[in-house]
Amino acid sequence: MKRRDLLKGMAIGGVAGASGLGGFPGIWVKGGTALAASGDIPVGVLFSQTGAVAVVESTLHDACMMAIEEINDSGGIQGRMLNPYVEDPASDPATFSDRANRLVRRDRVVSIFGSYTSASRQAVLPVVEGQNNLYWYPTLYEGRECSRNVMYGGAVPNQQQQEFVPWLKENFGGRFYLLGNDYVYPREENNVCRKILGDIGGEVVNEEYVPMGHDSFSSVISRIRREEPDVIFCTLVGDSDVAFQREYRSAGLDPERMPVASLTRSEVEVSAIGGDAAAGHFSSAPYFMGHDSPENERFVEAYLRRYGSDKVTHFVNEAAYFQVYQFKAALEALGDAEVTPAAIRDAAVGLRFQAPQGQVEIDGNLHTHLWPKIGQWQSDGQAKVLVESSERVAPEPYWAYEGQICTAEGLQQA
Amino acid sequence: MNKGFTVDCIGYALFAAFVLLLMPWMVDFSGYELNSYARYLALGVVAAAVALSWGTAGILNLGQALTFGIGSYVMAMHLKLKASASQPGGMPDFMVWTNVESLPWFWEPFRSLPLTLAAGVLVPVIVAGLLGMFMFRGRITGVFVAIITLSLMLAVQLWIINEQGWTGGENGITSLAPLELFGWSVDTYSLPFYYLAAGCLLAVLALGLVLIRSKAGLVLRAIKDDAARVRFFGYDVARYETIVFSASAAMAGVAGMLYCLVLEFASPTYMGLSLSLAMVIWAAVGGRESIVAAALGGIGVNMAEGRLSDLFFDQWTLMLGVIFIAVVLFLPRGLYGLLDGAREMLSARTGAVRENAAGAGKVVPPTGVASEGKTD
Repeated sequence: MKRRDLLKGMAIGGVAGASGLGGFPGIWVKGGTALAASGDIPVGVLFSQTGAVAVVESTLHDACMMAIEEINDSGGIQGRMLNPYVEDPASDPATFSDRANRLVRRDRVVSIFGSYTSASRQAVLPVVEGQNNLYWYPTLYEGRECSRNVMYGGAVPNQQQQEFVPWLKENFGGRFYLLGNDYVYPREENNVCRKILGDIGGEVVNEEYVPMGHDSFSSVISRIRREEPDVIFCTLVGDSDVAFQREYRSAGLDPERMPVASLTRSEVEVSAIGGDAAAGHFSSAPYFMGHDSPENERFVEAYLRRYGSDKVTHFVNEAAYFQVYQFKAALEALGDAEVTPAAIRDAAVGLRFQAPQGQVEIDGNLHTHLWPKIGQWQSDGQAKVLVESSERVAPEPYWAYEGQICTAEGLQQA
Repeated sequence: MNKGFTVDCIGYALFAAFVLLLMPWMVDFSGYELNSYARYLALGVVAAAVALSWGTAGILNLGQALTFGIGSYVMAMHLKLKASASQPGGMPDFMVWTNVESLPWFWEPFRSLPLTLAAGVLVPVIVAGLLGMFMFRGRITGVFVAIITLSLMLAVQLWIINEQGWTGGENGITSLAPLELFGWSVDTYSLPFYYLAAGCLLAVLALGLVLIRSKAGLVLRAIKDDAARVRFFGYDVARYETIVFSASAAMAGVAGMLYCLVLEFASPTYMGLSLSLAMVIWAAVGGRESIVAAALGGIGVNMAEGRLSDLFFDQWTLMLGVIFIAVVLFLPRGLYGLLDGAREMLSARTGAVRENAAGAGKVVPPTGVASEGKTD
């Protein structure tokens, strides 16, 4: 894409290529001099565009690139252009690690925007922590992490659940059936859900995990029939979520009596499920495409114009978008001071930005204060926002664990 | 046999010079590239492991990533315990999260480095030994071996993903401490670490060559050509096959340990389908008949992957695919076949020269050795 100017194709000869590049201006030559020589600001863009999770992750790439180009088109950051170094880690953790290394150590980027899955974030962590670089991670995740080198733009469990679960109990009843894929994210979310239900007098009738990619739910459906829960609290992801919702519909279950309440289902999953099968069910997220705000109108309009009117925006690519603007705000706050990853991080804390979802703020613990919403899916594939939280909700990645708190000094144990 | 040995030695020496001198020089001894190249060396080791059983004995192991992955998990468990020493009970964080009460018994031995290093080789050997005994005593061959090895790998991968309280699950084992070797805290971006990886690669290849050139190696080649006839001669075919299968597992275990050190985490994708099939491709590209050529294939393909992904952001996977198809179509014996063919042509020509020269009563020019050297 933008970055790999084809001139470098001449360098394919490897070592011999170096001499071939001699005639080009310094900006073409890779390495640590880019920042000083050109005044550009090198940033890494590390989202999978091929492989298993590319369907979702490439939309994060698109949103991130859109923000970068918008910033450059409007004159850059104090006259300096963002110079994106784009990599495709192909949904593979080992490749994530390798490409992150390339960005941090060779291309000397001052920040990386990247990744969707927890596994890929974990793969990149040793690289950014080892070099004290900064990783802007836009996805909701399970919490219980407190790195000083990651800017977490997505929701942690307390932000999605502390209003959602009591609201569900009030409207449908307190008997929850917890259903998720078997990995760390659903288990953590369910730990939090159990704790909230315990506090408000609800109960868990069953907690069930299916393997990743599992797509046959007839036995799960018959267990659900038998238990007759009030709410199916769902943390299935990707194909499993799609398959489950379709089987739910063909089994003839009624969303008004037994709705699926999801923490992971966005416009992307709903378009795969089909609007009719998803209609009437609920999701909790800081952002829905149908959210009504001038910033969101602009964002959606620009996104569809650029990538096609059949595309959707959702709560992860919205974060991928606004994180680039948070980065910009941090650089502006830095002014003439030296641009290093650590300086950017320190300047970013406390900054506010008017994102499509509302005004977000970066906490001292590097997570983001967000605006949780409860949406009900409609047959056109969009969510109708039923409840908006009245204030920004603070991120507490260790919310369910007493005595542990993530602060600006890292994790504190009481 | 003798000539083959000479070719081996020269090929090995050239390969060693390439790995020890040329590769670090090519990247200007820079930390990032040395780290990447150390990763390629680790993958070279596992490509050689594939070739050892496939090229020598005709056993195609599609599940080579199983023993590779075991090696990486063994190393990761040791480094994770080191990193968790300050935690209550020395428990890794993911165990605390999944409400595991105490450290499982099979984690205990990995507190010790010597036991870890031994386990990184021996656990793969035991796994392969048991599987080999079961398969080869049952006279399972060919595509059925491929299917069994592949299925076992996927089963173990699934188990690792599901037992996240013991294994770290989908995310694998992350946040590791650096390895400490005789008081040296290993920096994986340094020249010494690169040479550690290169040393492992060369040592493993040397041992592999010894096995191939031993009497057992001769029997194995005979088995590849006609197992029934070897059996009639009274050899215990299953035993020889199990030996080479286990030796290949040991090599993969070493490779896995190195790989975990380079990347600083272990992941269930290390025993994934795509990586395992890629290993077979590397061996095929290099040439399965020679473990040195296969190692070169592993290193070369991964260097090409790194280079192509850098230059052609959008099309590199496509280009790699085209290269693989071309190799299979036009070079079924891999690069080794190309070089071997060239060597044979050259030696046929020098042979003719030699005859002429002998006829004229002159001294034979020593071109034979030089040309053999170039061709391997």
